[in-house]
Amino acid sequence: MRNVSFVVLVGLFLVAIAAVSLHYYLRARRSAQTSWGDLLKRLTWIDRNSIATIALDVIEESGEPRHRGDGFALDPASIWTLLGGLEGLETLERNCQVLIDLAAYLQTWYPEALVVAEQLRLNAREIEWHVGRLRGAAQTGNLMESFAAYAQRAVVTYYLMTQHLLELYSHAGFPKLAELQQAL
Amino acid sequence: MNVSGFDLFVWAATFLGHLLLLFVLWKRRRAAEFPVFTTLIATDVAKTIALYFVLHHLSKGTYFYSYWSMAVLDEALQFLLFYEIAVHVFCPLSVWANEVRKMFIGMVCGSALIALLLTLLASPVTQKRIQAVVIRGNFFCAVLISQLFLGMVILSARSGLPWKTHVARIAQGLGVYSLVSVVTGAAATYFGVAHDTHTFYVLARFRILTYFVCACYWVVMLWNEAPAPRELPEVMRTQIYTLQKQLEYDLIRLRSWRRS
Repeated sequence: MRNVSFVVLVGLFLVAIAAVSLHYYLRARRSAQTSWGDLLKRLTWIDRNSIATIALDVIEESGEPRHRGDGFALDPASIWTLLGGLEGLETLERNCQVLIDLAAYLQTWYPEALVVAEQLRLNAREIEWHVGRLRGAAQTGNLMESFAAYAQRAVVTYYLMTQHLLELYSHAGFPKLAELQQAL
Repeated sequence: MNVSGFDLFVWAATFLGHLLLLFVLWKRRRAAEFPVFTTLIATDVAKTIALYFVLHHLSKGTYFYSYWSMAVLDEALQFLLFYEIAVHVFCPLSVWANEVRKMFIGMVCGSALIALLLTLLASPVTQKRIQAVVIRGNFFCAVLISQLFLGMVILSARSGLPWKTHVARIAQGLGVYSLVSVVTGAAATYFGVAHDTHTFYVLARFRILTYFVCACYWVVMLWNEAPAPRELPEVMRTQIYTLQKQLEYDLIRLRSWRRS
């Protein structure tokens, strides 16, 4: 009897392994066949001006941090409105994955672009960290107190990511740069 | 120990397959890229020679202990190979990303726990206690390695880390062999070896035959070159490295800002 239940469990284990493998195999195949246009379609629209306004409140256009007093004009309520609250931040988080995929797309053509794709991945994790903190704050009822600090930092990271990615594609002389600029 | 003509054929074929694989690894300069995999194959060649000598010149008991002590070495090398593949996939720039490392450690612990639970449920009927230990040991390793490879596939897909051609082929071969080993291990547990050893040997032959097919697959795949990437223009190479430094700098700055 014990051996029968053992065989049933092993059977379930094998079915689970086969199902999960199939799922990820199909997913990998889909992403390998993803076209440039499909990737851009996955980007959720975000108001670029709002992103730039929030980011440039604390950094210069060069990416250097501003000094206190010079900038830092946005209050938490304005940041909340410009970004569209936690939902806007979650959109930003989803777009990060697309930014990584865009870097990976270039990597398929030029494998040495891996270094940049790696850095973009780290940036995306940074944003996930900020959004995770805010989700935690939302659960404990402290969202508004934490929103400005974490959200603005996430926006700065996102803003820099988009700038770096555009720069990378522009250096590569990628013919569809204009589409990317429009989408970002 | 009765060795059939089929056993001798598989033994010789696997031995020749391994020699051919070693030649491919050396000729195509893959040995430096995959030192553990090369060691595993070289150990298998040495093991086959040693066991052949022990079988024909020494006692049955010596053969038994030689066989199983070498099997332990083989399993240890398979775990090291798993680590080697993970390093190729998860730290292509020689640095582990923090979150990937944490997930990787969690995956290893979780897989070991599941493998242990399934192994504890296994109670093969055997004549000797050592046979049960061997069947359970093999089963544990097969379950663990098959889970680890699956975990790596999931982790790489979620982190957006692509697999290079040769790494993927080695992992596919080992993954398929581990899955077949899970099936044969479970069947060996179910049928046991107390009354009839025939089923056990049929299962063992099936597993060895699968391994032989995997070895042939590796020979072909590692002989072939990976698809050639486009050549990166020198100007773009410089720009990409400048951009990487800039991104690194941004990240450090953002992290210090978070702490302040």
